[in-house]
Amino acid sequence: MRKFWLVFSHEYARHVLRKRFLFAILSMPLFVVVIIVIGFLSVFIQYNGKPVGYVDALPVFAAPQMPPENDSSTPPVAFLAYPDEAAATAALKQKEIQSYFVIPADYIETGNIRLVSLQSTAVNVTDAVRNFLRYNLIQTQPSDVVNRLTQGTEVILRAADNSQSMSENDWMSFALPLLAGILFVIAVNTSGGYLLQAVVEEKENRTMEIIITSVSPDQLMAGKVLADLCVGLTQLFSWLLFVLLGILVAGRFLPFALNISIAPGFVALMVATLLPAFVLVAALMAIAGAMTTDSREAQQVAGLLTLPIFIPYWFTTPLLSNPNSPLAIGLSLFPLTAPVALPLRASVAQIPVWQNVLAVSLLTLFAAAALWLAARVFRMGMLQYGKRLEWREIFSRNSGRV
Amino acid sequence: MATIEVENISKRFGTQIAVDDVTFSVEPGEIFGLLGPNGAGKTTSLRIILDIFKPDSGTVAILGGTMSEDKKDRIGYLPEERGLYQDIQLESGLTYMATLKGLSKPEASRRVSAYLERFDLGEARKKKIKELSKGMQQKAQLIVTLVHQPELIIIDEPFSALDPVNTQMVKDLLREERNNGKAIIMCTHQMHQVEALCDRLVLIHKGKVMLYGKLEEIQRMYAAHEVIVRTLVDLPTDLAGVERVEQENSTAHLQLAPGTSAQSVLRELVERKIPVEQFEIAMPTLDEIFIQVVQGQGESA
Repeated sequence: MRKFWLVFSHEYARHVLRKRFLFAILSMPLFVVVIIVIGFLSVFIQYNGKPVGYVDALPVFAAPQMPPENDSSTPPVAFLAYPDEAAATAALKQKEIQSYFVIPADYIETGNIRLVSLQSTAVNVTDAVRNFLRYNLIQTQPSDVVNRLTQGTEVILRAADNSQSMSENDWMSFALPLLAGILFVIAVNTSGGYLLQAVVEEKENRTMEIIITSVSPDQLMAGKVLADLCVGLTQLFSWLLFVLLGILVAGRFLPFALNISIAPGFVALMVATLLPAFVLVAALMAIAGAMTTDSREAQQVAGLLTLPIFIPYWFTTPLLSNPNSPLAIGLSLFPLTAPVALPLRASVAQIPVWQNVLAVSLLTLFAAAALWLAARVFRMGMLQYGKRLEWREIFSRNSGRV
Repeated sequence: MATIEVENISKRFGTQIAVDDVTFSVEPGEIFGLLGPNGAGKTTSLRIILDIFKPDSGTVAILGGTMSEDKKDRIGYLPEERGLYQDIQLESGLTYMATLKGLSKPEASRRVSAYLERFDLGEARKKKIKELSKGMQQKAQLIVTLVHQPELIIIDEPFSALDPVNTQMVKDLLREERNNGKAIIMCTHQMHQVEALCDRLVLIHKGKVMLYGKLEEIQRMYAAHEVIVRTLVDLPTDLAGVERVEQENSTAHLQLAPGTSAQSVLRELVERKIPVEQFEIAMPTLDEIFIQVVQGQGESA
């Protein structure tokens, strides 16, 4: 047992203290930050905060009201009234305004306005003009009607048995499981990749022969797989920490980001599928490493093994639109697709308990079987330098007598 | 009690017989040579002894019984193909390997440090193993083999990549271990090292045992009926019982007729007052015996 922990701590430290691991941990949030920064930059580059003028032929705009500020991250554009087009054109030429629009007398009938600008119009202007017009056109309505029309309608989807509901305004609560699933898939692949690499390296540089005369293959494999699990979890929790930090930071600018709620049952389901899934993938990676002859070939085989994990993402739409279809149930029960399919369904539907129990049990059973097979393949394949281990050798009657 | 008892082990890979009914034993306090040409079955035999492979038939008793996890801590193994983690520092890599052999971390650290100094690797302790020369890596590998003071040492080509100074140091170390009662199995192609170190040996060819026994006995068994004589004058051509003389500078190889003893030739040289500087029974080198056996001219022991 002591050697199991020795292998575990050595393997864990070996991967976690490597530069490439730190890079892998930091690269994901850095990538997300860069994407967000580029998004904001593109908005700011296209944003023009100068006032917009207007020439109004309708009486309703005699005393225009500014629409209430929304959750937008950019400040609102001011609207300046001009008595006629000549005055508006003069202001435009003097760059007091970025553009002006003319509301003709037949606007109510036609819905047409004319926008005049010296250069291309900023993206935010057309939206601001529409809001301005819409808001002022309804000012004759009672204030509660104005408020409702301005704030829009929130559609809340609710299951027939009231067991599950989802608001379209609460979209982050739905998006987070998707994000967590993606992070899980990346983490399980990355850490599994480390394990695969370690096994192939030990085989290639012959360390295996020394190790195996010190530790039993079972202890070695269990120590490696548990270390891999912890490496993956370290990576995953680091990313989740970044996500939480990101939400807290984003909450200062985008208040809706703080309204995310995740049910404890959902978290429990994620954990129950995540842990055996990690072990399953790690064991499959170890099998790939022990069976193949070099790291390149191992990577190719590993790619094939982890491909099924991504399958639920290809079926996101049917899974979400019909979460209790046979396809959805099938993907939730198949061990390699369950880690993503099950939480995805759980985010929009109430999954029967028996399906959850069966899915997690199957996953755990397959993980245990894969671990057993990994130790067997490992023992057989570790010393077959340059020679590929065949499946029929693994399952042959005498395979125990390596 | 023998440290290793190998009895009639056989191992087949597919249609190829790697080891065929091999039997030998290794005693405490001896260096035992496991010899054979490439592909003879030496490494497979070692892996069977170490329980990496299971034999198809036959038995192996090691340190008084079948292999167990505890016994792994009492064995030091240096495989032919060197195996060390390349990307970690020398000292921490060796310490980890030593802890896998049952040493506590402080004890492993202390012993590794002492061995690094002894092997003149002290200044490289913080270097990554991949940055070391082949010779230095070989010494590091030897430290891994010996650091836990095993009762049984199995070493495959221990002198490869070592310079003469380090070769001598390793030879002294192996003799020291033998004198401390350790059993040592040594695989090597360097026959002069076997002659210098081994007490007994087994020679395997095509999976079968071709020679087995004490080094000296095997040499005598393969000795031709010849004596080597070095004199200050030319040897007479009419020595009784001598069929042929091959002269090389001052040394002559005398092939004796059947029934002629070396003692009778020496007596005649003394009686004829020929100044003899050297007289010895010609023993074949292990190289010669090896070639003779492997080329199919030897007899099964």
